[in-house]
Amino acid sequence: MRKDLVFGMAGSGGDGIVSAGDSLLQAASAEGYHGVMTKSFGSQIRGGESSCRVRISTDPVLNPGGNLDVAVALNWEDFLKFGAELPVAGTTVVIYEAATGVAENQIPLVGVTPLQVIAVPIAAMAKETAGTERAKNTVVLGLIAGWFGIGAVAVMKGISKKLAKKSQELVEANQKAFDAGMAFAQAHPLKADMTIEPSAGKGGVKLLTDGNDMCAAAAIFAGCQFFGGYPITPSTEIMQFFTNHVWKYGGAVLQAEDEIAGIGAAVGASFAGKKAMTATSGPGLSLKSEMMGLASIAELPLVIVDVQRGGPSTGLPTKTEQSDLFAAAFSAHGDVIRPVLAPTSVADTFRTTIEAFNIAEYYQTPVIILSDQEIASRKETLDPIDTSQFKIINRLAPTGSDLQDYKRFKQTENHISPISHPGLLGGTYLASGIEHVESGAPTNSGSVHARMNDKRIKKLDPLKERKDLFEITGNPDAPLALVAWGSVAGVCREALQMARAEGLDVKLMVPYLLYPVAEQTYRDFFASVQKGLVVEQSHLAQTFKVLRMHLDLPKGLQSLARSGANPFLPGEIVAALHHLLSELQRSHEGKLQPQE
Amino acid sequence: MSATCEFQAKDYKSDLKPIWCPGCGDYSVVQGIYRALAAIGRPPHEVAFISGIGCSSRIPGYTTAYGFNTVHGRALPIAQGIKLANPDLLVLAAGGDGDGFSIGGGHIAHLIRRNIDITYIVMDNQIYGLTKGQLSPTSQKGRTTCTSPYGSLENPVNPLLYVLAYGAGFVAQASPTDLAGMASTIEEAIRYPGFAFVNVQSPCVTYGEEAQQIKGLKAISESLAAMGHDPADRLAAMNLAQQYGQKMHLGVFYRNPEPPTTYDALVRERQALLAKDALPKERILDLFIKK
Repeated sequence: MRKDLVFGMAGSGGDGIVSAGDSLLQAASAEGYHGVMTKSFGSQIRGGESSCRVRISTDPVLNPGGNLDVAVALNWEDFLKFGAELPVAGTTVVIYEAATGVAENQIPLVGVTPLQVIAVPIAAMAKETAGTERAKNTVVLGLIAGWFGIGAVAVMKGISKKLAKKSQELVEANQKAFDAGMAFAQAHPLKADMTIEPSAGKGGVKLLTDGNDMCAAAAIFAGCQFFGGYPITPSTEIMQFFTNHVWKYGGAVLQAEDEIAGIGAAVGASFAGKKAMTATSGPGLSLKSEMMGLASIAELPLVIVDVQRGGPSTGLPTKTEQSDLFAAAFSAHGDVIRPVLAPTSVADTFRTTIEAFNIAEYYQTPVIILSDQEIASRKETLDPIDTSQFKIINRLAPTGSDLQDYKRFKQTENHISPISHPGLLGGTYLASGIEHVESGAPTNSGSVHARMNDKRIKKLDPLKERKDLFEITGNPDAPLALVAWGSVAGVCREALQMARAEGLDVKLMVPYLLYPVAEQTYRDFFASVQKGLVVEQSHLAQTFKVLRMHLDLPKGLQSLARSGANPFLPGEIVAALHHLLSELQRSHEGKLQPQE
Repeated sequence: MSATCEFQAKDYKSDLKPIWCPGCGDYSVVQGIYRALAAIGRPPHEVAFISGIGCSSRIPGYTTAYGFNTVHGRALPIAQGIKLANPDLLVLAAGGDGDGFSIGGGHIAHLIRRNIDITYIVMDNQIYGLTKGQLSPTSQKGRTTCTSPYGSLENPVNPLLYVLAYGAGFVAQASPTDLAGMASTIEEAIRYPGFAFVNVQSPCVTYGEEAQQIKGLKAISESLAAMGHDPADRLAAMNLAQQYGQKMHLGVFYRNPEPPTTYDALVRERQALLAKDALPKERILDLFIKK
């Protein structure tokens, strides 16, 4: 029996492999399991290769998993295109389409001997039972139910519900295909028992959603009433959610003519007094940078979501990367600090998004949420979230006496000035991208400019004291450490558990606040650290470099960085930690040698 | 709002001193705006006045309205966000020909097709003045400037034809040669329920050519009303607009006699219609429950 199974399935676009993944995850969720599903595609609109990775577990799932336990290839050409995204190891059961004509001992996976390889006449079974090869994905679900014990009932319940509107015949055809898959599995038992343990959480309510929808829902919860944006993969679903729901809350959404107009409209809405948001991905972030500068100098609250994908330029539009940290922190000219937050999962996208609005509103600044393709489009089962524990912060409104002689950019002790909005009597002022005096009137004065820069930068200082925006786990005095954010944080959380189970004394820091760099929090964390890794999906190691720019890092802190798309595996991080430990031991031994 | 005498032109004038050159046409434009707002009678705090970058884009600061002097070419997207966030506001946008028809040229078409109730005033002086005299999108072909020392090789944009072609519901032209006419044209534009465009031929006294100064403009000026032009006739308006650059027609080129419902009004309708479907915010995650 297994507590945890990782499935990786690939086929061509029309094979319905992603919808099979959806059905599997929903069925597992209905049966009380925890699960995560990620999707990966070629960039073709229809057809082309498509794949999904589904991890099902009896315990909460920290990431989409490392090596596959089960690989499903509807054809080898498409499967192989995903390379290290779907890694097969000696522990993997490989199931593939017999019609590919490839012999079981000749599958095209070089340098690996899977646990078991099974050719199944998937297409033929679909044709024979449902009358069409389009039921291939349902046969696969039947095989999974038969071999691994997930969804024997729940899968077809879900499919019936989905298809009931279409026709009863379709439901029956799918039932036959599913049964055929189950029967095949039962007739050909696996060499090792790989069925999953019964779940403890059966019957409990679970939520099932992805990072983009969660982000948009959290924004509406936080009081966002305006979204301006432009379609761009992989962030578009955020705008789509708004177009479905924001009207109900008295808000509006504008699908603008371009990325600049999208953020421009959001800046306008914020000036008008409403909480506003825009969302984009890399190329759009580049286009929006001038407006981000405007929001900073005009001290307007604004939340900008950047769902990172491979860059530069168009890069890898459908695959994840963490290479926008420099752009988020440093794009747009001038001396400016723009807070950057990053969620690490679908679940904490809720909290991170609310936090972004609270920071934007409280400090009157644009805030960037640096999500990534994996979190944005992966589906996760979640336990219900108690929304009452989240405080909502609104911008500081001027009091009656403020409005007697209103100064929009008044110097105050905490550098935060009451903010009025059009429609408010007594609060009229000129907002501008031009440097301004306290009233808002334009100025060319160097000394006013220095003072205002000081105000805009210093007002954010308290953010760096926010310990709650950092998650530190493991032994606080450990000599070994990991630092990771975004979707890579989930991999490191699992690596930490594995490493500690193997006796390594290690701790992990996951920053939700990436910028400004909270120097003291890092210094405290690094105090005990002799060796460590900053793990990130950025070829340039942007996180490592941003940290180094602000801090004297421990000598033994190294970068484990690579380009996006291919996930880090928990096992490789544990192996890297073992290596660091042996280096550490060697250097200690060296020190213990008596001096010649 | 009824046109009472509650507000006078001076109530819209701020105490900031304009950066404009003495004799600049933009002084007349801001006067025209004060008068138009006074005639309409909306209190200054209910007016949001948005501009881009350029000499003329300084204009919001010279009024007592809520002003936003934004970035180059982006007054219109920002103005749209403001109007959609609070449709009760009177939203004005303004800027120069470079701001509107060059760097921000892509936005006009989309504001027009959305028909959001915003009045857009372009101070068209056929030159980049703030950067000291470069070729602008409305400069005549052959014109010598500091970026076209051998003469411009480009045809100018025709702002009037441009907005008419995209289907703007209200299109007019004004000039400091007729201050009273400018005030009433701007007033009419603001009163039009939907997107309204006013092109103001506003002379640049420092970098403008002789023919573009008040005297030269007067010589080619003609009142559309006096000509008997029917502002309900869009094709006639387009015909006349073709003479941009040779003639200066003043007044209303086109006013849609049956103004369609504005985008902002439709947004309100949709909000009212869907409000009943709202889950309480604290339960918004129920949308993700899978049974």
